[in-house]
Amino acid sequence: MPLHELLGRLDEARELSPYHTEPGQMRAAGPGKIGELRLGFSRRGDRSVLHDLYRVAPLLVQRALYWDEGMPELPICTIISVGGGILQGDRYKIDITVEEGACAQVISQGANRIHQMDANYASQHQSVTVGAGAYLEYLPDFTIPYRGSRFINQTDIVLDETGILLYGEMMMSGRKHHHADERFGFDLLSMAVSVRRADGPVLFTEKVLIEKSDPTIDFAGVMKGFDTFANIMCLAPPKIAARIQERFEPHFETEAPRAISGVSKLPNAVGLMLRVVGIETHDVRKEVRRFWRIVREEARGKPLPTEQYWR
Amino acid sequence: MDAGDDTIRSAAVPNMVRLGRLLQFSDSTLPVGAFAFSNGLESALQTEVVTDPASLREYVELILRQSARMDGIAFLHAHRAAMNGDHDAILVADRAIWCRRVGEEQQLMLARMGKKLAELALKIGPFPRLERWLGDIKSGATPGCFPVGQAIALAELGAPESEAFVVHQYGVASMILSAAVRLMRIDHLDTQRILFAAQDRVADDYHAVRALGLDEMAVFAPIFDVLVAHHTTTRVRLFMN
Repeated sequence: MPLHELLGRLDEARELSPYHTEPGQMRAAGPGKIGELRLGFSRRGDRSVLHDLYRVAPLLVQRALYWDEGMPELPICTIISVGGGILQGDRYKIDITVEEGACAQVISQGANRIHQMDANYASQHQSVTVGAGAYLEYLPDFTIPYRGSRFINQTDIVLDETGILLYGEMMMSGRKHHHADERFGFDLLSMAVSVRRADGPVLFTEKVLIEKSDPTIDFAGVMKGFDTFANIMCLAPPKIAARIQERFEPHFETEAPRAISGVSKLPNAVGLMLRVVGIETHDVRKEVRRFWRIVREEARGKPLPTEQYWR
Repeated sequence: MDAGDDTIRSAAVPNMVRLGRLLQFSDSTLPVGAFAFSNGLESALQTEVVTDPASLREYVELILRQSARMDGIAFLHAHRAAMNGDHDAILVADRAIWCRRVGEEQQLMLARMGKKLAELALKIGPFPRLERWLGDIKSGATPGCFPVGQAIALAELGAPESEAFVVHQYGVASMILSAAVRLMRIDHLDTQRILFAAQDRVADDYHAVRALGLDEMAVFAPIFDVLVAHHTTTRVRLFMN
């Protein structure tokens, strides 16, 4: 099976050049190593539906459920990885489309664990398309890169100027409670995102690149004293973005803070970026949820229910 | 004096003039508005990320590293484009910086200093490429990021890219350090000591990024990123970022 072009292009990234060795187990990008997921949402009457679903293991979505009490019209899909985490040689491709006027939420079942690697790497390409007046909350759970792992991700977003997208990544430094060397003990983490209108130029792009030899990890301006961080974007029309920014109080205590956070404007008026740095995942999650609540209230006029106790 | 001396003398003249003008364009008193910006230092002090000369030095090191791996890459692309007379490639580098800059005050610094630099240069000497770029800024065709303007100006002065890169990095460090003198308990000797030491890394930074493409502009400084958001909402402040 030929690798999808966008996924194949990731293989050429400079930062992957030391890691092109073949795993001793199943061949990299071979049969069984390419997970694929395609989700399409559209509006049907008063609610939105999952009208298109294509999946190839180890990625899995079963069906859309409607359990959000604040937005009963919202189809919710949970991405499940039947492989128990990302392994060396894995290639993932996720496409999510929300058509005009529809809404959707896509989350993941649990933390996205990137397992230890002694050969090759894992890569993921995501395409997210949000149509006119559409609304998508795509908030995967924490990514935990294990010691020695290598992961590259590219997310390409195409958003109508009237569409709204809440999307972001929450990252942990490693299995910090498992071993001292787990803290930023991975070999490579490369996470890029780009935003544009259909057929337009790139309006915002950002690449987070952390390589093993980075000497600044414990600098006070980088991650000193913290183990988790999140970059959450709210792409929205300028008026809505302004209201959200106005309401979100930045959080920066100087006395032993659990988490610090703030919201900044993205270039070319595409929306906002929430930055959070924290000690534990729940510290960061709390700030993300505070932002999420404001986004949903301002974007949809709907409440965000209390978080489930098992999260 | 024989003819050989004359040849050596006339060959040295352009280099000496170039060096003089490079010094002028890297001087912190060059009126492009750098004095109004602290590059996040004001918030770093208020939040105690920077507290003393040692932590200031670390902060400067971090910003220099970041600056090389983000703006520095586009700076080198713009410099090469200006040397080759490729105006479209200059605009590509300009947009590459702009679409990566998060935070309204960071964006303000980029655009305001870029435009000021072009206006200043055109008042003091002939800079045809910079003039065309300024025209595009005024018509809204390009954002006008400072590092791109600086790259064009230095290319027009005949500076090779490695020297131009030094000027770019030096400007970043001197902006933070001149803000530091006004913001924290530190004397001029300490800031000069930090500025002197900071030059040690410039060759490594240049070699780390010189072959990289615009798509490879990357960063990782989450606490700094929160500081950028923090400053926008601070009530008491001396600087614009």
